[in-house]
Amino acid sequence: MVIRGTRGGSNTVMKRVAPLIIFFSFLFLFFTSVAFGQVQTRLRVIRASNVGSNVDASLRDVHKDLGSLFSFTSYRLLRDENLNLSLNQPFSISAREGRIIMEITLMGLHRSVAELKIRVTREGKDTFNTQIRLSPGRTVLIGGSKVRDGVIIYAFSANF
Amino acid sequence: MKNSCSSILKLLEKYFDQEATDKERLLVESHLQDCTACQDALKSMEELRALIKSPVEEALQKEDFPWVWQNIERKIRLQEKQPWWQSIRSWLDISPLFKRKVWIPAVATAAVLLFITTQIIFKNTSSYPDASVVEYVESKTNNVMVYDLEKAKVTVIWLFEGPEEEAIPS
Repeated sequence: MVIRGTRGGSNTVMKRVAPLIIFFSFLFLFFTSVAFGQVQTRLRVIRASNVGSNVDASLRDVHKDLGSLFSFTSYRLLRDENLNLSLNQPFSISAREGRIIMEITLMGLHRSVAELKIRVTREGKDTFNTQIRLSPGRTVLIGGSKVRDGVIIYAFSANF
Repeated sequence: MKNSCSSILKLLEKYFDQEATDKERLLVESHLQDCTACQDALKSMEELRALIKSPVEEALQKEDFPWVWQNIERKIRLQEKQPWWQSIRSWLDISPLFKRKVWIPAVATAAVLLFITTQIIFKNTSSYPDASVVEYVESKTNNVMVYDLEKAKVTVIWLFEGPEEEAIPS
């Protein structure tokens, strides 16, 4: 009888308390992540060209989307990164030994929409500025920079 | 075995199972004093019972009756569906901490903190439920095209560059 009382009682309490603990843990995790204003964004750097007809398996979506606009036959993935962006903290990627810099800054969060500011400088001079709103399922492609026999495309997609 | 043994044997099982009347019990006991065959029959019944009883007792000791009882309790609770406010009350009444009603100020404090936190967080973020994907785009050196592929949820920003080549990003 003693065993039944102790074991049954603690199990019942645990069964009741466990959902409470789980709920508050999720609440805590959600609010801490939002409070610190962090957003994960996927950035793919792609070289599109008309040399060959290789399309990387991970770029079939880009090839399909751009097919109606441009006639590139080859899409090669140069870089695939998950950027952990913090509010007002610029993240930079560089090209041509640092002469060209792309700076990505998380400017704001609104529910499931991240506002990103993208700035490209060439030898210290602003060449391109934009501000985009990224939401889950949405992809923003920034392309056109010429490289050898093709162009560079930056594909931003929400990862949150 | 004596002549009366056949009639006693019928009573012996009742006697063994403690179902015999006082009269029958006295009859069996007086017979057993003189009859070794019936004594042996009773003894073999006792041995048989011991043989069956011991594994059953072992199995009973191994059986997790608290678990079975918990299941029964759970099923009873499921059958007796409480109103939601009673469920909340019983759920909150799980520990001395909650019984002391400490949870009322605790929940109130947590709610106030959450409210303040959300206000601080969303104060710095703009509200744009129906805004377009590209807020603005500018370039002093290139022509820029913005194209929305709404079906595919893709937005393309294209820079039309001059002949100068750009290196692959490092």
